[in-house]
Amino acid sequence: METAIETQNLKKYFGDIHAVDGIDLKIPKGSLFGVLGPNGAGKTTTIRMLSTILHPTSGDAKVLGFDITKEASEIKRRIGLCPQELVIYPRLTARENIHLIAQMHGMAKKDYKERTDDLLGKMNLLDRANSLVKGFSGGMKRRVNVLMAVVHEPELLFFDEPTAGLDPQSRRVVWDFIRDFQERECTIILTTHNMEEADDLSDELVIIDHGRIIAQGTPDELKGKLGEGDILEFKIKEIEQRDEIIKLAKTLDFVRWGKPVGKHRIVLNALDGLRRVSEIMDVVKVKMEDISVRKNTLEDVFIDLTGRRLRD
Amino acid sequence: MELKKEPKVTKQLWYLTIKNFKSMIRELSQLIWIFGYPLVFILLMRFAYGLETYNIFAPGIIILAPIVLISQLAGHFADEKESGTLQRLITTPVSRQTILLSGLFSQLIVAAIQIVIILLLSLLFGAHFDSNANIFLLFFIPFLVAFLSLGFGLLLASIVKTAGSAAGLAWFIILPLQFLGGILSVEPIIEFIPTSLASEAMSAVMLDGSIEFDLVGLNLIYIAIWSLILIIIGILLFQRKTAIL
Repeated sequence: METAIETQNLKKYFGDIHAVDGIDLKIPKGSLFGVLGPNGAGKTTTIRMLSTILHPTSGDAKVLGFDITKEASEIKRRIGLCPQELVIYPRLTARENIHLIAQMHGMAKKDYKERTDDLLGKMNLLDRANSLVKGFSGGMKRRVNVLMAVVHEPELLFFDEPTAGLDPQSRRVVWDFIRDFQERECTIILTTHNMEEADDLSDELVIIDHGRIIAQGTPDELKGKLGEGDILEFKIKEIEQRDEIIKLAKTLDFVRWGKPVGKHRIVLNALDGLRRVSEIMDVVKVKMEDISVRKNTLEDVFIDLTGRRLRD
Repeated sequence: MELKKEPKVTKQLWYLTIKNFKSMIRELSQLIWIFGYPLVFILLMRFAYGLETYNIFAPGIIILAPIVLISQLAGHFADEKESGTLQRLITTPVSRQTILLSGLFSQLIVAAIQIVIILLLSLLFGAHFDSNANIFLLFFIPFLVAFLSLGFGLLLASIVKTAGSAAGLAWFIILPLQFLGGILSVEPIIEFIPTSLASEAMSAVMLDGSIEFDLVGLNLIYIAIWSLILIIIGILLFQRKTAIL
């Protein structure tokens, strides 16, 4: 299979801060590849290096077969970047903002006009196409932000937290749009700290923490590593009892693992957890403030690997 | 997926210039600054001091108009950096030089419109124009000052991080140019600074209809040299500031 992105020991240091600390990636063409990690994990820095707006401190990276430092202009002609922030011109209309990016890529006028209208329609923005963006709601601005990244039909698209701050309805619109785009043989790199987004959209993903890859695989593979049990999350009052509760719970043969999360929470993985909560309660003999049971998520994978939540 | 043709630099430059121009004229505060600042001086001199005084100062006020471009240009680039749009553009196949040139060109279009309007307003409020005054020079002298302002604007753009600080710091350039150059006084305090040279040339052309080389041509050459040096330094500093690290 052809490779869209290949990095070897890619690093970016800002003084003493190791933002990206040796990342090795091999992303096949045509895939929707997720990069999941908490804020400050190094996701955006990685994207910025791969989209040629930041030079790496060391390491090698090739994007669509071109070196990111020596052949940046070739890469720029083939990629689209949807930045995390709302990077739009407020005193241009939605249509003018999108046209501008198409014009920078040298698209023919007829093509970009047709395509812009088509895209605006898909994002439910056609009726506001000629309004200045400064009067748009946050969700509408974010949709324009996305359209500016895709208007020129790039071979490779970087979506950096494309739905950050969006309401659930707008988030669904963007997700559907991203899925639709991938069907056109485009490779998509999606960074997110939203586990639902990563799980729902990615064919394959990496989990990054402190500038390093700590897990890689398909969402199902990663969740599968935690075992088949349910996730039970307990909220406790007495934090000093945390370790003791985990120790006691693990004495039960159906409890596969347990981890403290933050100061007041414990996460246990237990087979048939929903039916057997009472058995756990009998053993640990501590009053719980709150109990929830759910299936494995990518967040649990992250908790298992780091002992922290994605949003900690 | 089919790769599109290599984009043409001239087209990119044109589209970016239009984009900058539209952004500028759609902001009321910028329009007030560009046209209101010189207009205030016209009205003050004309109605507070009378026609005789106004006639003496009118050439200087016309020179004053394009000086507002210092904060305009610095603010434009600071805004592009601050909002991330500069970086977004850099991920497309457009060069930093084209982005920079488009910023200069859009300001020059504004300057041309501004100068024509200020000249017409000066005439409307009764400023004296010698019957032999060279129309081309009446436009060209303040337009050359616009180049000079862009040079200062680029220098400022390479220092500031926000549009707000650009607007504030610009006064440390505008006020000395304005007062030391004798734009609003009878005699310049420092004769060799470019605004003093421009004001002298403008007065000679406008009030006396002169096209003498010593008074007009030589002064314009000095201003052109000042502008060129500032623009070159400004471009170098700005490119260093926006270099990919």
